[in-house]
Amino acid sequence: MNPVVYPEPIEAAIARLEAWLRDLGDRHPFPGYTLSPRSLVLLLLQKDPALWEQLQRDEEQCREVEIEIAVAQNQLHQPLELAIAQTRHQQARMLERVALQQPKSGTQPWAETLHQITVNPITGFPILVVILYLGVYKFVGEFGAGELVDRIESFFEGQINPVVDRFVAQTIPWEPIQDLIGNEYGIITLGIRYATAIVLPVVATYFLMFSLLEDSGYLPRLSLMLDRLFKWIGLSGRAVIPMVLGLGCDTMATIVTRTLETKRERLIATFLLSLAVPCAAQWGVILGLLAQKPAALIFWGGFITAIFLGVGYLTAKFLPGASGGFYMEIPPLRLPKIRNILTKTWVRVKWYFWEVLPLFIWASVFIWFGRLTGIFDLIIRAIEPLTLALGMPKESAPIFLYGFFRRDYGAAGLFDLQQQNLLTGNQLVVAAIVLTLFLPCVAQLQMIVKERGMKIAMAMVLFIFPFAFLTGFIVNFGLTQLGINF
Amino acid sequence: MNVLSTIEIGQPKTIVGYHTQDATLLRKLVTLGMMPGIEIILEQRFPSYIIKLGHTRTSIDRETAESIFVQ
Amino acid sequence: MDCHQCHRCDSSPSSRSWWRRWRPAPLESQLRSSEAQIALVGMPNVGKSVLFHALTGVYVTVSNYPGTTVEVSRGLMWVGDRAITAIDTPGMYSAIPMSEEERVARDVLMSEPLAAVVHVVDAKNLGRMLPLAFQLIEAGLPVILAANMMDEAHRLGLDLRTEILAQELGIPVIPMAAALNQGIEELRSAIAQKIPAPSPVTASAV
Ligand SMILES: Nc1nc2c(ncn2[C@@H]2O[C@H](COP(=O)(O)OP(=O)(O)OP(=O)(O)O)[C@@H](O)[C@H]2O)c(=O)[nH]1
Ligand SMILES: [Mg+2]
Repeated sequence: MNPVVYPEPIEAAIARLEAWLRDLGDRHPFPGYTLSPRSLVLLLLQKDPALWEQLQRDEEQCREVEIEIAVAQNQLHQPLELAIAQTRHQQARMLERVALQQPKSGTQPWAETLHQITVNPITGFPILVVILYLGVYKFVGEFGAGELVDRIESFFEGQINPVVDRFVAQTIPWEPIQDLIGNEYGIITLGIRYATAIVLPVVATYFLMFSLLEDSGYLPRLSLMLDRLFKWIGLSGRAVIPMVLGLGCDTMATIVTRTLETKRERLIATFLLSLAVPCAAQWGVILGLLAQKPAALIFWGGFITAIFLGVGYLTAKFLPGASGGFYMEIPPLRLPKIRNILTKTWVRVKWYFWEVLPLFIWASVFIWFGRLTGIFDLIIRAIEPLTLALGMPKESAPIFLYGFFRRDYGAAGLFDLQQQNLLTGNQLVVAAIVLTLFLPCVAQLQMIVKERGMKIAMAMVLFIFPFAFLTGFIVNFGLTQLGINF
Repeated sequence: MNVLSTIEIGQPKTIVGYHTQDATLLRKLVTLGMMPGIEIILEQRFPSYIIKLGHTRTSIDRETAESIFVQ
Repeated sequence: MDCHQCHRCDSSPSSRSWWRRWRPAPLESQLRSSEAQIALVGMPNVGKSVLFHALTGVYVTVSNYPGTTVEVSRGLMWVGDRAITAIDTPGMYSAIPMSEEERVARDVLMSEPLAAVVHVVDAKNLGRMLPLAFQLIEAGLPVILAANMMDEAHRLGLDLRTEILAQELGIPVIPMAAALNQGIEELRSAIAQKIPAPSPVTASAV
């Protein structure tokens, strides 16, 4: 049954092409498809890119279809594709009129008023600031990265680490094996502690807040508010959601760049995600570290934002091609369902945790192995000049080594250094900036390779690594020259 | 006949045509339901254009809004 | 954002971690033994993933914005005493994809053998969603129309004449509110009618 009858010239073309397809027999251009001939032909008439690519393998067939399109187009007073779409829409509206009726007027939902104030620029931008302040600074920063991290951290330091250290000292006679499990760099005392005490609370609080924003429907509104800004860096408002998700986990966000329209946009978004969008574990720890020094925090935040916009602007300027326009459906604001929020947060945190835990454990093992064989000290000594060039004490060299495993592992190392009061405000800021810009984690790299290809992934790595250190160097130099001390 | 980006806010208007040669843009407008004959209301201009179409709201940028003729 | 489902969806796993191999993967083997496949398709943000969860019990990310799902997920659902595979797809605006995730959805329609295609629509925006329904019907697919979000439609004072719609389109139409668990069983019975009776051979093999 045909639900839609198209204007006569189109129907004629359909009939001819259907017969033509049937007569092709085993030279049929699309043998693998299960679709009806009518719909295949309609797709061809609309110049469906995937089908045309296949058709173009046979020049003769290609010409055949092009002739039919030209014949039909000649008899129509509007583009063929539009004519097809419009016939469908007219039919749809006719059907809607009989099938969907409005006997009584509906109620004006509360969501309508709320919608107006979130998208109106006069109220919308202040609301965004309030959300950032309450959700990000208060909830994730102060509660997650401050309160929760402190508690779990002191639980580890007070209850778990001593017990583990004592246990391995008593049961394992060989010291190197003791160090593998306990003591300063052990799997439990370092790897698992970092994952549970530092990364977990931050990631969990961020995903909880993010889910709330997602389910309420605020994010599309944020997209439309930020579209103009994002145009400036070669993206559109559609890229806002992947970027905000990237503030949770860059790996997930890299997959979501699929929703962007053009290859160019996907490339810019992937690049900015891996350079200048820190994941929750990373910025959460940094927020916790710098919380006592608001000026340093603002400088770090402002600087990373400037890098994001500046590098984005330059990339957009030098990358050939155009970016897609902005269009987005704005769904109604909905009351989030607690169950969905909790499930979603739980699923994401679980995924994230299982993703980082083995890496953290491996890192402990590598560090253990490196120390046992002396390789660790060699590498540290090799990095030391780099660390000194950044104006950092040489005790901080290991965190950059950690950073190689994961940026957030490095950030967690920074947290440990800070606890020992080894760093000045300036050094903290420089280290935070370098680690924020540092290489993406292994999972994200894998995803970049999968989505964008090996060549692009390599190019990004080759750019990001020196860029991060150079930036740190310049910031340190600048701060020193200007005599600024945080 | 006016370009969508210039019309008054809150007044119902009918789409009459497009002002673009860009095939992808056309395809996009069509799939969003912005077809000739459809009644729409412009709700906001800044920071992005917001258009109400039946029970749906859609946000588009200025370039897109400039490519739609209404009456 | 669906990467946490890698162990059960058919995208290649992003994390080849050592402990993953220890985890049991019962779903894969169950999916292989299922008798038929159905797909959930429709425009973005109409409730496909909510419905997928209601049918299969498998959780996939649900959010209130278009473009939440970017990968295909599979789950097992029961129709009477028979287990079939349900596929959740990314939202698509029309049969011609405009972005990568829409292409993923179309590939499912074009290349998978499907016993039923559940086209999920937002009932309050029926007119805007029907062109896709026409395209699916045109393609010769066994379409069932799931008119979702009936709760919101009612709140707006809208009334859906299901029989007229079903008659005009020539396909089953099921009004529902997936988020409130309304209409799920009705949809399940509509799907049951599309599943071919088990042939004696496969029945004994299972
Ligand atoms: N009121 C109401 N809301 C619903 C209903 N079904 C789904 N929703 C909400 O609609 C939003 C979108 O649901 P999803 O299941 O993520 O939509 P989807 O079709 O999978 O969207 P994409 O993955 O983007 O294509 C969520 O906020 C749901 O809670 C319903 O029947 N009634
Ligand atoms: Mg979905």
